[in-house]
Parts: sequence; structure tokens; C-alpha cells
Amino acid sequence: MEDSPLVAMIGVTKAYGGALACDHVDLTLRRGEVHALLGENGAGKSTLMRILSGDVTDHHGTITLDGTPVKFGSPVDAQRRGIAMIPQELDLVPELSVSANIFLGREPHTRFGPIDTRRMHHETKELLARTGITLDPKRPVGELRTGEQQLVAIAKALSRDARVLIMDEPTSALSPTEVERMFAVIGELREAGAAVFYISHRLEEIGRIADRATVLRNGRVAAEFDAGALPIEQVTEAMVGRPVGALFRARHGETGDELLRLDDLVLKPRRQRPGRREPAGISLHVKAGEIVGLSGLLGSGRTELLETLFGTGTPGRWHGEMRLRGKVVRPRGPRQAVRLGLALVPEDRRISGLALAHSVRANTVLSIVDRLARVGIVARKRETETTNDVVRDFKIKLGSLGDPVATLSGGNQQKVLLGRALLTEPALLLLDEPTRGVDVGAKAEIYQLLSAAAARGIGILLASSEPAELVGVCDRVIVLHGGRSTRELDTRGAGEAELLAAAMGSTEGTP
Amino acid sequence: MTTAEFLPGRGSTIAATLFRFQSLFGLALVLAGAIVFSPAKNGELLFLGGENLFNVVRAISEIGIISVGMTFVILVGGIDLSVGSMVGLAAVGSAVLMAHNGLGVLPTVLIVLAAGLVFGMLQGVTTALFGIQSFIVTLAGLQVARGLARIWSGGQAVPLVYGDGPGRAPVTFSLLGERTFNGLVPIPAIIFAVVAVLAMIFLRTSAFARHVYAVGGNEKAARLSGVNVARVKILVFGLCGLLAALAGIVHAGQGNQGGPNDGIGYELDVIAAVVIGGTALSGGRGSVSGTVAGALLLGVLNNILALNSVDSNVQLLIKGLVIVAAAGLQRLRPTP
Repeated sequence: MEDSPLVAMIGVTKAYGGALACDHVDLTLRRGEVHALLGENGAGKSTLMRILSGDVTDHHGTITLDGTPVKFGSPVDAQRRGIAMIPQELDLVPELSVSANIFLGREPHTRFGPIDTRRMHHETKELLARTGITLDPKRPVGELRTGEQQLVAIAKALSRDARVLIMDEPTSALSPTEVERMFAVIGELREAGAAVFYISHRLEEIGRIADRATVLRNGRVAAEFDAGALPIEQVTEAMVGRPVGALFRARHGETGDELLRLDDLVLKPRRQRPGRREPAGISLHVKAGEIVGLSGLLGSGRTELLETLFGTGTPGRWHGEMRLRGKVVRPRGPRQAVRLGLALVPEDRRISGLALAHSVRANTVLSIVDRLARVGIVARKRETETTNDVVRDFKIKLGSLGDPVATLSGGNQQKVLLGRALLTEPALLLLDEPTRGVDVGAKAEIYQLLSAAAARGIGILLASSEPAELVGVCDRVIVLHGGRSTRELDTRGAGEAELLAAAMGSTEGTP
Repeated sequence: MTTAEFLPGRGSTIAATLFRFQSLFGLALVLAGAIVFSPAKNGELLFLGGENLFNVVRAISEIGIISVGMTFVILVGGIDLSVGSMVGLAAVGSAVLMAHNGLGVLPTVLIVLAAGLVFGMLQGVTTALFGIQSFIVTLAGLQVARGLARIWSGGQAVPLVYGDGPGRAPVTFSLLGERTFNGLVPIPAIIFAVVAVLAMIFLRTSAFARHVYAVGGNEKAARLSGVNVARVKILVFGLCGLLAALAGIVHAGQGNQGGPNDGIGYELDVIAAVVIGGTALSGGRGSVSGTVAGALLLGVLNNILALNSVDSNVQLLIKGLVIVAAAGLQRLRPTP
């Protein structure tokens, strides 16, 4: 059995409703291999890995482990066979100690009954030593930095004798040194015969750590590359399904007066380390009719910046200067921000965007219900007309206006949010990951809508983790790193590859 | 003119319709049961007697009035445990103001209603601005209001003796215990009906109600869309306090006294009525019409059990089962 791959997925298919999340995917993982998975959001990477880790069980197709067909009933089942997933949102309990997390659910006991904490701490220390870090096993996980938490999650998987590790964007919140340390750990793991499925958007990283890279698109394998030399353009083309230029058309249209200017805006971290120098802040400007991108790693301050501008960050947590049309402002809350002419489409539409059980109509007009009302009574007809206009202009596909918004696809939900934001007739539109979990077709339509909005003179500040999106949609891209703006790129001048590299977090050539 | 989008269930299948009007069907079911199990006298069903039917509504009117306010609170995802104590405080207040302070009916009613409104709004302020869960805030409110009622009454029920002169309450107030229209329709039932109808219209048509649903449906989304979440919560808790005070006034009128222990445990019946009415405790979904049906269902159930002289302990058991059944039905409901 030595020549059979460690893991083979053959013809794996999984449908959600009518849509195929995975469509006859064949994928293998050899011993000691790091196999990178690439693809846009919704391409099927996560579903595939959730199938492999036993989280999704009602799929078609076969999975073999060491050449033997297996069928997992649950994640615990898969873990018992040596397959462990480390999700992007780590499944650690912040309040519990490092060792309690590692031994969660299978704590050793002393002869007399109670949990043998001494043994737990001891074994934890040994495990952590294998991942190359020294941590106090008694410390609550919540006090650790993200990179340390990531390593604890790996140690937890190792403690369960995992031979197959699935890592979902493991470096998205790590500092460069932490990334190096994690790569070293992965190197040791493969020496020991373990293998890794590695989901990431960062081509540079994949080139360093992976042996092979498979690109998924619309639930199918679109291309396979030798990870040693990844041709960026071909990879992105395989991801998007067409030449990048065809999907994204940066407008570079007429721009008007300056709308927003930030001077050395410093976002204070929640817990400040004493004696640490504050970083130079974020400086940028947005003109009317301009789309400006915000790029940077998770934790670089993208979302925090948008929240601060919209007044939802904690007041007093930032200093510096924010000017709107030349006037110094300091929004205290969303209501004030809306009055100032701002609108925000938040990052996670299900958590902070939509009332999922409520109708498309109720969700669309939420921001302007007051305006649709006369003496406090909502004019039903105007409400319906307004929603109909949005549905038509934005090409929202739906059954009826009264359907719960949860029944729409991700792309159409996003359009509802965009419609709601634009109904307030903002001067400046703040977008946080506007196409996350949106299919390619709806994506193109959303880009067109943004273009049209900009053409009407609306300024747009767009935060995104998708380089191709930033390069394709924005006039300029500001790169954030550690809470400060480190670079500014004009998307006209530079070549695509350079922009991709820059947007992916490379900080070479800081101005 | 429907608010179907805020009601549970969707689509036009029979099952979906059943779920949407679940509380009405429940009420119909219980009514049918009441008719079947009604004891008869001289060939006439006691349950269907005009006087008995109005007694059902009278008996449930206080709970019904409060449950309208509670519906709003639960729609924003909150809960108000202080309403029972507020009934006691308002009943005591009405009795003391008229019998001891010699105030007229109108000033008394206005002062008590204002007190209920302010008390409710204070609870709203505490929960909205300081971010303390309404369960905790109103649990504290429950104690405070009950304490105030006991202090104000001196620990004893304040009797209402109608007539002129010191120590007597205006005769007008005794109307609350009376009936109109051929001596059949109780005044409390009319008050309940008016409150319910106004609330139904308000909840279906007002911009404020849209904000109520939005806050309950997704508070964060509502805030980011520019909805003044704190204001919505404060006003909703104020409304609930106001209606609880109104129920307290009715209670004093019906009992001809204001007792410091009046209304103990009302909050549980009120919450039961709202839940049976199909309003989701998580907020964002529900209706006043459902709540009214839920309150009537409880009333009919109480009535028919009493008519059949069912042991009061067994009554509790049956009521408990009905509440669980109603909540269970909600779990079965197809979720989007």
C-alpha cells in the first residue's frame, strides 16, 4: 500500500440546493506533501475540506485513506483516523488554559477521579516544544497573540495524532516572524510523514511552502500547478475563469473635489503595550467619483479604519484628523455618520448586515423608513416602489419582495445591502469585502454597480483581501500594514503582477 | 396591508399558512374543545352563555393589556419581568391618590400612567445605554416596583370606598368594575380591545414599528443602517410600563382596592400569552394579533377548566403543557 496516496478524493460531489459546491472533484495528497488549494470565495475549497474533515457528510464520491475507502460520520470520526482541520476562526476556548484547550474532551484523570492537571501541563509542554515555542501551559488562550494561538491549534491537532492537517488561511493574521515559525513547524511535520492541505490566497507563500497547487473554480478543478514556480497571471486566470482584465475594468474616470482626507489617523489597539511607540498613522484621500482600495493583511486595520470612519469604533480610540469636504469631523456613531453623508456596507452581511428572517423589502428600505413615512405612517406604496427600483437597477433575482432575504443567494443579498446603502444617497461609500462569498457572475455585476455609483460622483473606499479585485476595480490602492498606510499604488501605472504582489502584502519599495 | 414579512413562516402551502396563523388555529382548537367539554344547564351550554363569554374576556383583560406592551418588548429581543410588580404599584398608587390624597379620577390616572411610562423608560435607558441585559434590569425593576408598592401602601391593601368626602374615591372610578351595553360588556374588556386594535394598527403601519422589527431582527444591522437603537428600546420599554400601569388601574377598579401584593406572577402569564401568540423570544418576528389570540386562548382554557371544576393544581399542569406545545410548534416551523 506504500505507493497509494495518503488521501485520495475521487469524484467528490456536494450540492447545496440546486447549486453544486463540489462537482466531481479528484484530489490526492501524498505522504510528506504540502498541497495548496487556491480559488475564489465560493469556489468549493472549504466545502471540499469540510467533507474531508467529516464536517459535511451527505456527499457523493469516494475518499480513501492509505488506499482504503473511508466514510466519516462526524469530525470526531475523522480526527480518530488522523485528519484534523484547523479552521481560519480557531476553535479554541479563549477562557481556558493552553493545556485545557489541547486536552479538551479527553482530559486525563488521576487515580482518584479529578482531572490530572499536572500531567496535562507536562504533556502540553512537550507538545509545544515540538512546535518550537515555549508557552506557559497554564495561560488562558485568550491572552495569547494570534500567531501563538495558531501554534496551539496545531499542537492540539498533533496531540490527536493527526497525519493529515487541513489549514485554512493559517497566515492571514500572522506577523512575518510568526509565519516563518509556522513554516518551520510545517517543515518538521512533513519530515515526520504528515501531509498538509493548505488553503491560501498568497501565491508567494504557496511558492515557498507547497509542493503542488490546485486551483478550484465553481466547484471543479480548474488547473494544477507545480508550486515551485507559480505563474501569477495563469493562476489568477484559472481562479477567475477568464483573463483578469475582462472581469475587472478600472474606470479611471473623471474625479471631482476631494471628499475625504485622513492625516495620520492612528487607531489605538485595545490593549496597549507600555513603552511601545505608536506607529505613524493612516493618511489617504478620496475624491468624488473615485474608487480607492484598502489592502492589507487581516489585522492590518482595514476593517477598524472603516468602522472608525463610520463612528462604530470606540470613540476616543483614535486620534489624528479626519476631514470630510475639508471640514474636520469626528463621527460619534452611525447615525451621525449617515447624516454626514457616509454609508457602510459591513464585512459580514449575515451578522451585521441583514435581518435574515425579514423580507427583501423590509431589509432594502431599512435605512430610509423614516423618509418613506408621513406623520410616522409608512406609505406602503412608496416602500414597494422604492424596493422595486432597487431590484430592477441592481438586477436582484428574487421570487417576491415579501420573501425572507435569507432565501436569496449571497450575491443578491449583497446587492440588497448595497441598495440599502445607496438609498441614503451618500457622498462617500465605505465597503468592507463587498464580494465575499459571491459568485463570479454577481461579482461582475457588483463591480459595474460600483463603477456606475462612482460615475455619479460618489466616492468609494473599498477594503478587500482579494488582490485581483483591488487591482481591477480601484483607481488607487492604499496598502495598510500594522495600522499605518505603507504604500499607495496607482492601478494605471503598474503592471498587474507587481500590483498583485504589493496587494498581497509585500512591503518592498515602501515610499 | 399585511405585515406578512414579519410573521413566522412563508409561502402559500397549507402548512405554511397553518404556521403563520398558528395562534389563531390554536385559539379555534381550544374554543372547539371548550364547546365540546362545556357543562350544560337546562340544555344550554354554559360556556357559550353571553355573560360567560364576556367573563372570559374580562378575566383576561389585564393580562391582555400588558401582553400587548410585552409583545413590543419581545419584538426588540428584550423581556420585561417587572410588569406584575408594576400592576401592584399602579393599583396601590391609584387607591392611595384617590382615597388618601383626594385626587380626582383624571389626575390619578394620568399620574399613574406617567409613573408607569417613566419607570419603563428608566429600565429601557439602563438596558440600552449601559448594555445590561433586560432580563437583569427588569428583574431588578420587579423588586424595586414591588418594594415601592409596599412602602406606599404601608404594607396593607388600600380599600376604595366610593362616594363624596374625605377618604372616599370618586364614584366615576367604580365604572371600571361595571358593564355596559345591556349590562353585558365589561369596561376592562373594552379597554383591552381598544389597546389591542390601536397597537395592531401602529405595529403594521408606523415607521417606528419597522425599526422595532429591525432592532429585534438584527440589532447590529439596524444600528449600521442609522436606526436609533437606544431610542427604540427606551420607548418600547416605556410603552410596556405604561400599559402595565394601565392594567394596574383596571385591577384597582375591578377589585375596589389597591393591594401591595397585586399582580404577583402576572409577568409569567403575560409572557405565556405572547409566546403562544407566536412571537419569537429572540425578537424580530411576531404580531399583536397573535398575542391577543394567545391571551384569549389562555382565558378560554382557564374558563373551561373552572367551569368543569377541574382541580386548580391540575389546571396549572394543563396550562404548562399548552405553553410547551405552543413553543414546540414554533420549533417545527420551517425556517428560511
